[in-house]
Amino acid sequence: MSNEFKGHDKRSRTDLSRRKILTNASAFAAAGLIGGVTGFPFINTMAVRAQDAPLKFWQFYAPGGQVPSQIAWFEKTVADWNASHPQKVELEFVPNSEYINGTKLATSFASGDGPDIFLISPGDFLRYYNGGVLQDLTPHIDAAAQADFPDSVLASRKVDGKIYGIPMEVEPMAMYYSVSAFEKAGLNENDVPKTWDELLELGKKLTTPERFGVLFETNPGYYQNFTWYPFLWQGGGAFQGADGKSAFDSPATVQALKFWQDAINLGVAPRQVLGYGANDVVANLGSGYAAMQNVGIWAISAMQNNAKDVPYGIFRLPTPANGKYVTVGGGWAFVANAKGKNPDAAAAFCAWALASMDQGSIDRVVNWCTVGKSDMPPRNSALKSGAEVYSKGGMGIFAKDIHPGTRAEPRLPPEVYKIISDAIQQTQLNGADPQATATAASQQIDAFLASYKGAPIL
Amino acid sequence: MNDRPLVINRRRGLSAKHREWIAGYLFVLPDALGLLIFLGLPMVLSFVIGFFEVDGFGAYTFAGFGNYARMIRDPFFWSAAKATALYALMLVPSLYVCGLGLALLIQKPGRFNAVIRAMFFAPHMVSLVVVALVWQFMVVDKIGVISRLLPKFGLPAISFLGDPSFALVAVVVVSVWFLMGFYMLIFLGGLQDIPAEFYEAAEIDGAGSIARFWYITLPLLKPTSFFVLLVSMVAAVAGAQAFDIIYVMTRGGPANSTSVLIVYIYQQAFSLGAFGYAAAMASTLILLLMLFTLLLFLFTRGGRFDHE
Repeated sequence: MSNEFKGHDKRSRTDLSRRKILTNASAFAAAGLIGGVTGFPFINTMAVRAQDAPLKFWQFYAPGGQVPSQIAWFEKTVADWNASHPQKVELEFVPNSEYINGTKLATSFASGDGPDIFLISPGDFLRYYNGGVLQDLTPHIDAAAQADFPDSVLASRKVDGKIYGIPMEVEPMAMYYSVSAFEKAGLNENDVPKTWDELLELGKKLTTPERFGVLFETNPGYYQNFTWYPFLWQGGGAFQGADGKSAFDSPATVQALKFWQDAINLGVAPRQVLGYGANDVVANLGSGYAAMQNVGIWAISAMQNNAKDVPYGIFRLPTPANGKYVTVGGGWAFVANAKGKNPDAAAAFCAWALASMDQGSIDRVVNWCTVGKSDMPPRNSALKSGAEVYSKGGMGIFAKDIHPGTRAEPRLPPEVYKIISDAIQQTQLNGADPQATATAASQQIDAFLASYKGAPIL
Repeated sequence: MNDRPLVINRRRGLSAKHREWIAGYLFVLPDALGLLIFLGLPMVLSFVIGFFEVDGFGAYTFAGFGNYARMIRDPFFWSAAKATALYALMLVPSLYVCGLGLALLIQKPGRFNAVIRAMFFAPHMVSLVVVALVWQFMVVDKIGVISRLLPKFGLPAISFLGDPSFALVAVVVVSVWFLMGFYMLIFLGGLQDIPAEFYEAAEIDGAGSIARFWYITLPLLKPTSFFVLLVSMVAAVAGAQAFDIIYVMTRGGPANSTSVLIVYIYQQAFSLGAFGYAAAMASTLILLLMLFTLLLFLFTRGGRFDHE
């Protein structure tokens, strides 16, 4: 009997066990799926970090990158802060391709584990502000320091008078030209074009079987839009009218779209650019692929570090007939994560680094703009401190001739950026009619604006 | 006496059939768990997220079929669907022809066959980003190696990646170059399964090489063809090369001409933050692929092509 009982017990346990395993596994899988399905909105609350952990500061200037002084600047800034503050900050490098244009920054916020401090450009400001992750930095910036930033520089980082980002640089766009290409064509600095028509004519002269006369960005993306904006503004164009409706369907938009289209159709500008895009001056102008290139002030530093032996010149953007000179000034800004581990300390770090009247803060901005990069400083005091650098060479041309016409990079919601990007691409590379494209894009912008509820578009 | 069978039962525990059954499932378990966790669960989550407006910062608003309705109205979704269909229509037959052609070329034993096989398979071992960058440089306007050759043959200059008329074809060519070695090996395996006696008999009957190919090789390669068509179709619609090569070479441009669905979904999710809309499109794409696979299985009896 006892054996029978044991045998029966064994069989029962085997059956039960198998059934149990299957039941438990099914329950586990179902719970996982249901938990996943019903609980997914709360996944982003799961990220937990130790209270004494350093604040994470994401940036994309890599150790061992093309310009060593850039990462050195970040490292020194963080080391100086850590030496004098209890809440430590830690640098984390995120490759540029994974940053704004990639998945890492976006998915980190989606999962509730965004960096405490990070960099954004005006083009991304609304996305992050409207997402509620930008911390108000105003309480940490005294009135004198606020006044030290020109309004035009801070405007795109402000909402309702509060500052949500501190710019570390101003990067105006200009035209660069190859001195050797000019000389081979029998030209000199006196021949730099003043108007769009002159630029295209000069482009024809400089175009050879192996070289394009002039180069504009052709890759779709935020950067292409950024580089096109000044040509829109030069004719008096705008994105949004005073009535809050789209102002994109205008003669200024049409002529700006047509200008880039003409450059392609005439064969003076390439459909494809080299390197990592038209912001890469070394791969394009430096390699001899183009004789003139539309690029920003940072190209001075890039040429100095990577194409020292290539002589080049700089001139300000040409304008349409009867147009007014204006260029666009981009630039990255420090921002603090309002949903981070310690938003207040992160905000204090941003203000301490770039927006204090302390001489160390001013010097830091000067160093970044003159040693780390070749940029215009976003602060009057820094411009004064670096006066010598801004009085000669390429930086002198920017300070004297190009920067005075700078208008801040606009902040647009991603949806509007995409509509404009498609309009540029369709006209520039697909031969679409500029007028019809501007009209269609304007209607799309209006449709979007009708339901837009975020911070004002600037 | 009554106790004996029970003692034997206890010693044996499970029958051989059951032990095999358990062993089989244990072997499959790691893969099944991996699929469930890393594919099944994300697919379910993606499907559910498709019914929400997701701002990417923790806010989820139920949208019902709003994202699906938007998809139907979105002209860029349809242009991406058209680009995907064109890409698949060019890629799948090209891979079939090139893969089979190369396999036939190196099928017979030869002194250099191993080297030739390695050569054709080598691209498949290279990073897709490297492949895309190298090709991008080779076809760049004016100074690319291939671009320089055109005028020498009296052909007009072409911007392979900058002209919407050519860009999709260019990325198909690069995709074929990258993938054909893999399909060559699959076809080679299929060819080696065909008994040599069939060819000998056909030759005795006077069948030429075309007849042998048409009446022996092709019919007996049906299961392999099924596999190639299925896998290459999935690769065309959602494969790594469909995203990586396009993203590196053209970023979906010029003028959205290479913006296939997988690239458009990526842009909507990560450039524009429309995670809910991207999830809805991804779910639709997966459902369409599953439907295609199901139909292919039904029509070919699971790739066996056998008859009653």
